[in-house]
Amino acid sequence: MMLLIVLDLALLCISLINTGILIVGLQGLLLGFFVIAIHANALSVRLMAIAIAGIAIKGFLFPVLLRRAIREAGILREIKPFVGPGLSLVSGILMLAVALWIKSKLPLGGIIDAPITVPASFMTIFTGLFLVIARKKALTQCMGYIVFENGIYAFGIAAAGDIPLLVELGLLLDAFVAVFVMGIAIYRINQEFDHIDATELSSLKG
Amino acid sequence: MFNYILALLLAPLLNGVINRVKALFAGRNGPPLLQRYYDIVKLLRKGTVYGASTSWVFRLSAPVGLAAALVALLVVPFGGVYAPVAFGGDILVLAYMLGLMRFFTIIAALDTGSSFEGMGASREAFFSALAEPALLLGVAAIACKTGWMSLSSMLHAASPVSFELLLVVASFIIVYLCENSRIPIDDPATHLELTMIHEAMILDNSGPDLGFIEYSSSLKLWILGALIVDIAAPYRSGLWFVDCAEGVGCMILLAAAVGVTESIMARLRLLRVPQLLAAAGALSSFALLLVLR
Amino acid sequence: MDNTHTLLLLSLLLAPLVAGVLIIFVRSIRAIFITMAAGIMAGSIFGMIAVIKTCKYGTISAISSWLYVDALSSFTLAIMLIVYILSTTFAYVYFKKEFLVGNLSLKQARQFAALWCGSFFSMTLVLVSNNLGIMWVGIEATTLLTAFLICIHSSKQSLEAMWKYLIICSVGVAFAFLGTLLAAASSRNVSGLEINQALLWTKLMVHAEMLNPALIKAAFIFLVAGYGTKAGLAPMHNWLPDAHSQAPAPVSALFSGFMLNAALYCIMRYIPVVEAATGRSGWSLTLMSALGIFSIGIGAAFIIFQNDVKRLLAYCSVEHIGIISLGLGLGGIGFFAAMFHTLNHSICKSVSFFAAGRLGQISGTHDLRKLNGAPKMSRLWGTALFLCILALIGIAPFAIFMSEFQILKAAVDSHSFVRLVLFLAGISVVFIGMLSKAIPLMWGTASESTKVKNDSESTEKRDISLPATPDIKLDKSTFLEICLVIVPLSALLILGCWMPDFLGSSMTKAADIIGKVTTMPHK
Repeated sequence: MMLLIVLDLALLCISLINTGILIVGLQGLLLGFFVIAIHANALSVRLMAIAIAGIAIKGFLFPVLLRRAIREAGILREIKPFVGPGLSLVSGILMLAVALWIKSKLPLGGIIDAPITVPASFMTIFTGLFLVIARKKALTQCMGYIVFENGIYAFGIAAAGDIPLLVELGLLLDAFVAVFVMGIAIYRINQEFDHIDATELSSLKG
Repeated sequence: MFNYILALLLAPLLNGVINRVKALFAGRNGPPLLQRYYDIVKLLRKGTVYGASTSWVFRLSAPVGLAAALVALLVVPFGGVYAPVAFGGDILVLAYMLGLMRFFTIIAALDTGSSFEGMGASREAFFSALAEPALLLGVAAIACKTGWMSLSSMLHAASPVSFELLLVVASFIIVYLCENSRIPIDDPATHLELTMIHEAMILDNSGPDLGFIEYSSSLKLWILGALIVDIAAPYRSGLWFVDCAEGVGCMILLAAAVGVTESIMARLRLLRVPQLLAAAGALSSFALLLVLR
Repeated sequence: MDNTHTLLLLSLLLAPLVAGVLIIFVRSIRAIFITMAAGIMAGSIFGMIAVIKTCKYGTISAISSWLYVDALSSFTLAIMLIVYILSTTFAYVYFKKEFLVGNLSLKQARQFAALWCGSFFSMTLVLVSNNLGIMWVGIEATTLLTAFLICIHSSKQSLEAMWKYLIICSVGVAFAFLGTLLAAASSRNVSGLEINQALLWTKLMVHAEMLNPALIKAAFIFLVAGYGTKAGLAPMHNWLPDAHSQAPAPVSALFSGFMLNAALYCIMRYIPVVEAATGRSGWSLTLMSALGIFSIGIGAAFIIFQNDVKRLLAYCSVEHIGIISLGLGLGGIGFFAAMFHTLNHSICKSVSFFAAGRLGQISGTHDLRKLNGAPKMSRLWGTALFLCILALIGIAPFAIFMSEFQILKAAVDSHSFVRLVLFLAGISVVFIGMLSKAIPLMWGTASESTKVKNDSESTEKRDISLPATPDIKLDKSTFLEICLVIVPLSALLILGCWMPDFLGSSMTKAADIIGKVTTMPHK
């Protein structure tokens, strides 16, 4: 779980999109193993299925979809985002402080064993949100959304315990379809505009 | 006390190890391990030349720097043994002595009136301003974790190594590279204007002054290295002899690691250095937040 | 009995889905629209049966109450069916004109029809599911399925609107999922509530008093932020004007007519749970009314300087959603008024978007200044747009006046005079703003050159370059179009004067589910 936070901080300060995709894939793998680890003493077929689905979708499918989108858009770096790497890192530390504060306010005791899990998931949520807001390229915004969903997934597995199978699968499927749809959208944007800079998408005002 | 003498004697060896490792990577034989000692002795025997534009500040900087380094060394523990001087809050003595050293180097560089040194001075000021929070936050994290305010007690109690301490070690390594002007922050072997920071500032020094400066930079290597080694290396046995030897071994390992880093990396663009230092600061504050929750 | 209910609800869900999948394989545009109409019709028939059965039995449930329709769901379902039937008919009219001009390709028609049926399925899923997680899945599905409905005609602006919509709503709805998880977490230590039933709304309502208040409050904040994004509550409404103005008219009508309501429905499901858990302190109601007032303010502020008719209608939607939230937040009669207002707003907004869309097709622009004297272009649709704007700003005897009046009464009843004043100020600003645009619309002359040059350039960029249909002077309207206008508008007129018993009682029952209030409003 600490590793999740380190990955989040790393995601905030890189500019190469390929590295970002790698980190997002690593996060997916981490979350998949986290599912197994947290219920290590009560493994069931259902949990294994969810874990494997999670690893497959988040660890492998998303990076594949994102890489394909990069190839078509032909971009390599997030140059000149709204918030630069240094300031993003500082914001990341602030977000971590807020996540820890939230954990102290929410009475979630007794559900999860590792007390770092809930702050880690909130930190991931904030990181995803930050990436959506503070980045210019549509692809990095999509990556931010994936990280956001990762955070919610982590929180769900840790805090809500045994929510029904259908809902967890619904979340996974939703994330997958959302990213798929976003990929198609990016493709169409690239076709029409010849770039995927979301700040250029600002002709509709008022 | 013995550790103090050990540090005074062994510090220049670290430079030798770094240079030897770099040379081996390059396929050369390299200078002898004791080269730094020879250099210092040689410089002490020479005469000094002072530029016409310098004043008493310039003449003062080198001895003050050495004095500051010697005082800073007094509070640093090593090998599981308490430092000669240990009291609550001696971390600040360490930080301020290093700061004093840096301050005098900078104003001496500015005193020469050459734009070259001025440029080096401004860069040095900027980078150390960024590295200082990383150092202090990391030390704060250790202090909160162990509950001690004295450097010696802190580092004595700082084991077993946990995740927070690992983060602090990672941050300190970046600070180590920055404070000692190593690649990827500064290139100690170059004499090109664009790539110098530390070397630029001491261009005008000569003779014993230069000898003092070189020796105090070796001492700085030892001081900051001791901080890292004391956290990272476990001192299991109670015998100070064994711990000392282990400590020295780890310091040499650290120096070798620096040599390897210098050989495989290039210097970062000056724009990227603040980001690296911000990352170090982020790691330290992360460790502090984890300890505080 | 349960088996028939299962069959009914399942066919309600699956009929449009099957139609949507079939559309992928159909070859001609005509067949595509016929399949779409058939799917929607089948769904509507099943839906109406479900509504009638609910009125008779109180509630129907199936699949061990994972599917559950009570008075609130059935009322919202009825609104959805009305909006869908109207919009599908209008889609037929609208796209027929586009096809005649040659602006509709097979691929676009297929995309539209398939996604239209898919959105019917997902919105039904939201309404009939008892499991709050599945309800969430339905809302997320509506986002994903309707995103590409916006950019049927690919242009720079429509792609921009689609991307904004996709990102903002996906992030928002993900927040709502976090809220759902927190709600499930708050039910953790409640005895008698097994964890795999924690997300069933019926079970949650039964045990609502024992839920952890701090967690349920945190959950509600996230839920309102999340579902509020989808509903168009300010300050999360940024996607609304763009999506509504760039989407084709039937899609805008669907968005404003029903999709916003569906998101508000989700919030409405949570309000009684939170109220019971926080000891009826009115905390959640305060939040709702605050957001409502803020939305009214934002809608009013932005309406004043709008020049694009669809953006004007979009901000009007923001304002009306704010009014509904305010109604929910005031309590008492407010719940009933909010229910009534959802019905009125859906009908009125659909027809206004129909009118805006057809006028846009006829004249080739959405710029209000160029649309002045709209009846000269098309008697039916120009008058329809004017009458709808009048209805929307709350002119008696249209029904919206009645529902807004009831909200005023609710505010006075609960002595919340600050909210009353702010509400009145907001709707007055909207009244003046929209009327000042509606009067030239009806009786002015279309200005060929606009006074301010740079203003016209910016609206030029925004105009969808629709090719004008050949009969630009006076468009002859078909019987279908006349029905599309007369029937809803006269319904609004009638509702403004007289409340039929069945409608009144079903709205009261729906309001009771939210507020457990049993007062019948008196006119």
